[in-house]
Amino acid sequence: MSDKVNLTIDGVEVQAEPGSMIIQAAMDNGMYIPYLCYYPGMKPYGACRMCVVKAESPTPDGTYRALPGSPASCTTPVSEGMRVETNSEDTVGLRKGIMELLISEHPHGCLNCHRIDLCGPTDVCLRHVSVNDRCVTCPKNERCELKDTVRYMEMELTTPLTYNNRHLPLEVKDPFWDMDMNLCIVCSRCVRACDEVRGDSAITLKDRSGRSIIGTAAGTSLLESGCEFCGACIDVCPTGAIVEREYKWDKAVEQVSTTCPHCPVGCQLDLDVNKRNKVVRSIPNRQAEANMGMACFKGKFGLDFVNKKNKLKKPMIRRNSDLEEVTWPEALDFLSEKLSGYTSDDYALISSSKGTNEDNYTAQKFVRRVMKSNNINVSSNSRPKLVSALQSSIGDDSATNTIWNLLNSEVILLVSANITEEQNVASVPIKQAIAKGAKLIVIDQRETELTRYATKWIRPLVNSESNLIGGMLRSILDQSLEDHDFATEHCEGYDEFRNSLWNFDLVKVSAETGIPQEEIVELAQLFGKSESSSILYGLETVSEEHVDRTVKSLVDLALVTGNIGNKSSGIYPLYGGANQQGSKDMGCVPDFLPGHRPVDAAGLNLDEISNACSSGKVKALHLIGDELFHNNPDREEFLENIKSLELLIVHESFESDITKMADVVLPSAVFAEKKGTYTNMEGRVHRLRAAIGPAGDEDEDWRILSQLAGRLGSNELSYSSSDEILTEITGEVESYKNIRVEKLGTAGQMRKIEPQKDYLLSPLEFTQNEGIEVNEQYPLIFAPGRVLFDADRDAGIVTENDQNSITRTEVIEMNSGDAEQAGISEGDAVKILGENFELIGNAHLNGLHSGMVATTTLFGSLIESLNKSTEPDPMSKIENLRLCKVRVEKV
Amino acid sequence: MTTEKDNLRTSIKEAIDSQKRPTVTVLSSLLAIQDSIGYIPEEAIEEVAVHSNTSINSVFGVASFYPNFRFTPPGEHSVEVCWGPTCHLKGSTEILEIVLAKLGLVSEGDTEDGKVSFRFNTCLGACSQAPVLSLDHELYGNVDSDMAEKLLGDLDQNKTTH
Repeated sequence: MSDKVNLTIDGVEVQAEPGSMIIQAAMDNGMYIPYLCYYPGMKPYGACRMCVVKAESPTPDGTYRALPGSPASCTTPVSEGMRVETNSEDTVGLRKGIMELLISEHPHGCLNCHRIDLCGPTDVCLRHVSVNDRCVTCPKNERCELKDTVRYMEMELTTPLTYNNRHLPLEVKDPFWDMDMNLCIVCSRCVRACDEVRGDSAITLKDRSGRSIIGTAAGTSLLESGCEFCGACIDVCPTGAIVEREYKWDKAVEQVSTTCPHCPVGCQLDLDVNKRNKVVRSIPNRQAEANMGMACFKGKFGLDFVNKKNKLKKPMIRRNSDLEEVTWPEALDFLSEKLSGYTSDDYALISSSKGTNEDNYTAQKFVRRVMKSNNINVSSNSRPKLVSALQSSIGDDSATNTIWNLLNSEVILLVSANITEEQNVASVPIKQAIAKGAKLIVIDQRETELTRYATKWIRPLVNSESNLIGGMLRSILDQSLEDHDFATEHCEGYDEFRNSLWNFDLVKVSAETGIPQEEIVELAQLFGKSESSSILYGLETVSEEHVDRTVKSLVDLALVTGNIGNKSSGIYPLYGGANQQGSKDMGCVPDFLPGHRPVDAAGLNLDEISNACSSGKVKALHLIGDELFHNNPDREEFLENIKSLELLIVHESFESDITKMADVVLPSAVFAEKKGTYTNMEGRVHRLRAAIGPAGDEDEDWRILSQLAGRLGSNELSYSSSDEILTEITGEVESYKNIRVEKLGTAGQMRKIEPQKDYLLSPLEFTQNEGIEVNEQYPLIFAPGRVLFDADRDAGIVTENDQNSITRTEVIEMNSGDAEQAGISEGDAVKILGENFELIGNAHLNGLHSGMVATTTLFGSLIESLNKSTEPDPMSKIENLRLCKVRVEKV
Repeated sequence: MTTEKDNLRTSIKEAIDSQKRPTVTVLSSLLAIQDSIGYIPEEAIEEVAVHSNTSINSVFGVASFYPNFRFTPPGEHSVEVCWGPTCHLKGSTEILEIVLAKLGLVSEGDTEDGKVSFRFNTCLGACSQAPVLSLDHELYGNVDSDMAEKLLGDLDQNKTTH
């Protein structure tokens, strides 16, 4: 017997999931019921009453009993044998009445203008309606759900009710968004999206009845109300009440679905392109399995760089110490002549993590086949150890489960990752899982957004994470919380692993990590007792030399508790770079060929390349993109090192400090001009589609390299399209064998990794912890934190030039002993001095580990600075919250 | 160093904790606070949010829904004029005009010096005495224009019984 519910809608017999609402059942079966407040994926609400229907359900004696009144189909669940009538005369009349009431407070000249059928989107209004509610005064003109609904209902062109303009002031002082409450129909979708879907509750419905309005509690600014500027409220707004500020009035002539270039989640975005070849809006795709209709501040508001006028448009070569613009043939001739003087070890290429699989496949092939070198890498791969243990133990270096399966995890362990800012959308299922009752453990020295949601927030001593996890493992085994069958049947090296844990005596672990024994035991219980536990790690605060060890311990933790290969748990490495996964699969690494086949002699890694530039070992450096060592203290050193090069070639879209030093600058296409594929952190292959045409002569990197190879006498790289390269990739890379261009819809296609026969448990090593090296000038370690919302302290909002900004005194957390030594007492004004920054605040003495200071700033301040930034692409240059050396002085 | 704000927070917390009822809700906490300190300051929204494990925005949404909650400190005196049907028929319009003129107001609100808070009331529950007026929660029935003048005049000289 089917477990579906059978009902009749307008005489048609349909089936629906038990517990689903009538409106959903109708939509699933291709029937439309007008609605305004309903939104798929959100809880039933029933605010607008537009979806009212007549319904009756069978009684035991064989007759039908009508449901009282006119129930809203979005809040009425289906039941067996139910009969629903959606368009009876009464119902339609009722709907029209409701709509009349609704539009009596919404400017509706645009809704029922009699020229609707005559007027095209580009026509000038002939003023058939009053000036202040003409359709062109609404930013959602032609995209308005209210208008569509009014048209569907074939409303009369006049309404008996006079329009009452509420004359509410526009809210335009916060970054990125505009709010016009005169257009609001109080459907409350935005409030629900913020609360139910994103878990933020940054906006609320204020006041009641006719005065209802969307706003924040303090009534001041989103900067301090916990907003993450993800734009979810904008995406769900049915009218023009909440809109993006940039290109607010621009209309799209085309919508192109592509992949976001900002992080490895790989959000699918629908880009609105206007008639002037500009990307005017980005709307996350609801069918996409990677992001489920979600985006973040980067994907929503951080794509305007593709429209910047100062994009590089012509190739440039350095002649007589000046860069001068030349044509492509000139540039390529010049470059091929120069390059022919370098081979193998003299040459290195670093490709971009924003490059497509096709770009990076071509790049590594160019280096290996044409330049005969293995000095190839991708710029974001500065910490290869972050995933190497994952590769060796589990057989793949990507996440072992999908992002949205995190929803089903009972316990989530997050180790040292500021996921809200770095891989934002992956934090959405985490917050939703917590709302459903999941427990979150955060191990991080810094206070990040998710520490607010944590059941346990553990701040171990710096670099003691691997010992802490070792201690957890020891305690799990001591309490027999391991999945013994899984560990012995599916893993190799169990005995050796178990023996290595004898070193992790909890007394020792507690001393090394600064975490009390009871807490370690509690963590072990929390993690070990749950049916499904997931691990996400970024190890952003862990020093390079401890990364491998820490990853091994985390992989062991996942394996020993049987959380690999299970539907609702897994281990997720978090790194930067939108296409790092794909680049590595393509062999854009010094030690592996495409498809993870080892090379005979590995080339140089990123640090080695940087050093080799200064020592003269590498004489010609080829950079695709200039993001190498961005937000990293090593950047300065790298810039110094490349001064010694004989030849510096840069493919870039914008002028930067590196292009100014280059001998050859080749204009490279931005993501919105590219065709190709990206692979996200789950191993899902997504498509990039060209949304806009090139502004000048810029070209895709694969084509540049292909032409260059031709001039250097190789015909192995003569491709005519990116699809042709993908076809070659599917032949070369085993895991991409099943990928087909035509199958890459918004859901993408998972690459297929043959599951390893046995997983590998690594023995763990207990280490004496050295922490981070400090010196006399900077004796303390600073852990900068950032959260969306801080209930404990007031943030003042000041308005300058009509823009809000935050002023607040930061609280600087210190260890009481350290403070006493420095003569600092509670509440004193102190200054943190780092190598290139300073910060003033009031001291707060607490149980922080000796040798550390910490502070927590508001995300609103970051957003403010991004909004004001003059950089072409500020979102990809956000400073990571890294630990650093500081000293503290009393002011 | 305790400041006025700290004291305010302390009394808010006391008000929340002193509730003797089987279920403590956002609404009951807000009511307890308003009963105790007379209004709902910003700090109260925050404290209730923390206490109920919800966001300040959700708490504010609830608080702003009910016209009975006020977000600024009340005046020293409260004046209410009944606006129910009976009082209306018995001439409360005239009383209302006198009261508003005396207080220098055009509608509900606080006087300029912040001393008196004036509100309409839909029914003060003394229809047999209509029209009714309340001064600092003390009812005055069968009010006529002279009486209203006098009562408000007394208020000026601060002679009300508290």
